[in-house]
Amino acid sequence: MEFAAITDTGRVRGNNEDCFGVAEEIELFVLSDGMGGYASGEVASKIAVNSVLDHVRASEKNASLPLLGTPHPGASSVAQRLASAVAIANQAIRDEAEKNSARRGMGATIVAMQFHEQRVSIAHVGDSRAYRLRNGTLEQLTDDHSFVADQVRRGKMTQAEAETSKFQNVLMRALGPEPEVIVDISEEVVLDGDTFLLCSDGLSKELRSTQIGATLGRTDGTEEIATRLIQMANDAGGEDNITVVIVRFAPKLVGALVQKLGRWFRES
Amino acid sequence: MPKLVLKFEQSVLKEVPVGTKEVSIGRAPDNGLVIDNPAVSNYHARVFNEEGRLMLEDFGSLNGTFVNGQRIKMVTIKPGDSVLVGKHSIVVTESREPDGFADWNAQQKPFAPKINETVMLDTKDRRNFLQQAAAIGESAQVSPTRVKVAWLVVQSGKTDQREYILSDKLVVIGKSAMATVKLKGWFKPKVAAQITRRDDNSYYIGPADQIPSVNGNAATHATKLSSGDVIEVAGVHLEFAYRE
Repeated sequence: MEFAAITDTGRVRGNNEDCFGVAEEIELFVLSDGMGGYASGEVASKIAVNSVLDHVRASEKNASLPLLGTPHPGASSVAQRLASAVAIANQAIRDEAEKNSARRGMGATIVAMQFHEQRVSIAHVGDSRAYRLRNGTLEQLTDDHSFVADQVRRGKMTQAEAETSKFQNVLMRALGPEPEVIVDISEEVVLDGDTFLLCSDGLSKELRSTQIGATLGRTDGTEEIATRLIQMANDAGGEDNITVVIVRFAPKLVGALVQKLGRWFRES
Repeated sequence: MPKLVLKFEQSVLKEVPVGTKEVSIGRAPDNGLVIDNPAVSNYHARVFNEEGRLMLEDFGSLNGTFVNGQRIKMVTIKPGDSVLVGKHSIVVTESREPDGFADWNAQQKPFAPKINETVMLDTKDRRNFLQQAAAIGESAQVSPTRVKVAWLVVQSGKTDQREYILSDKLVVIGKSAMATVKLKGWFKPKVAAQITRRDDNSYYIGPADQIPSVNGNAATHATKLSSGDVIEVAGVHLEFAYRE
């Protein structure tokens, strides 16, 4: 597994309110996009990332650490733990906002992924995204918790209308505003050759998914790919902070060859 | 009623109240708030009331309009915000007459949601917003009324069971130890395909080592499953079905 993570202020904003964190020893990757006046967005996203890293690390040492929030039926224990960590992050942001009136109303999105035993568990709240590139196909693994995404899901808006809507920055769910937060959990299998991407909307709003997919699929190192994605988003306008976290699983050379031969035999 | 106080450095130049009519700001003399300075466009910006909020809109001016240091296109402003037009600053203040608008404005959160930045809605705002923007008579929440249980029923092919209940969020079809639907046979892939359950209880099938087909169509991306769909992958046919 190789990974790279970069965050960039972009071309328009005065400061960077995105934050990312990596706990390499437990293959946990977290990204958060903060919001709030007077730079409290920076505080919120940092609290979000650190809360998740701290809680999951603590649970590695103590598996019976209590979970916060509602359990997700059918989800692995890693996923349940991620959901709990996100609920704790929500509480931590609210606690800080209460202590400091300048931070009242601050919030953040979050997306966290942890790899374990050939699968990945993903927890998210908001419109920061997780993607997977497999065999040249890019798949968005998380549903945005934005008003326009909700409208598209209900068939009330087309994707094209959503992308130009003046409401596209309105979030239905975020860490901070409510005492209880509903965390989305998903689990996916991990195959050799898969590449995973976490990104803030500063990337996904500037680039088409075809551009993201093509860049992720390059044979360059993950750091070069991450740098390239940031550059592309800045070239496209860089209107928001941009953060990317890339995790790539090397294709097994022998395995890939056997698969290709197998497919050739079946198809002939 | 709020007032716009025009200042240049520390000197107050003039004050203009904002009532029901908008106040346009610019160098041209027919503006509500005239700023005679070359850094200001003829028609630079305007302040108006929208549903109880005080809004500031930039008219695409050359030098821009700034609120609390950030360049804006259209934004809510309130007492305490500092607006910069060219080299002049406009302070939003509250005049002393008790007023419904004044009370409402004072309750606002300390940051101004900017239209190009992400905004989160709290419960009350969210409800109001949804009422305004959504169709009449539609409920805001997606609430599953009954939890349906999903099954995979083997129609043909060698697997370890005839039927599988899909209780996990991730169901793997393949030979690997992590597979729920275990394929039998020499050349079967470790992970042929995967079925994931999303938090709204919908099921999606996606490719892994192979590309499954749903009702004869290749599912190259995660494809939503409906009751009765027939999945074919790695030589096995499975029917996806909901049962009460």
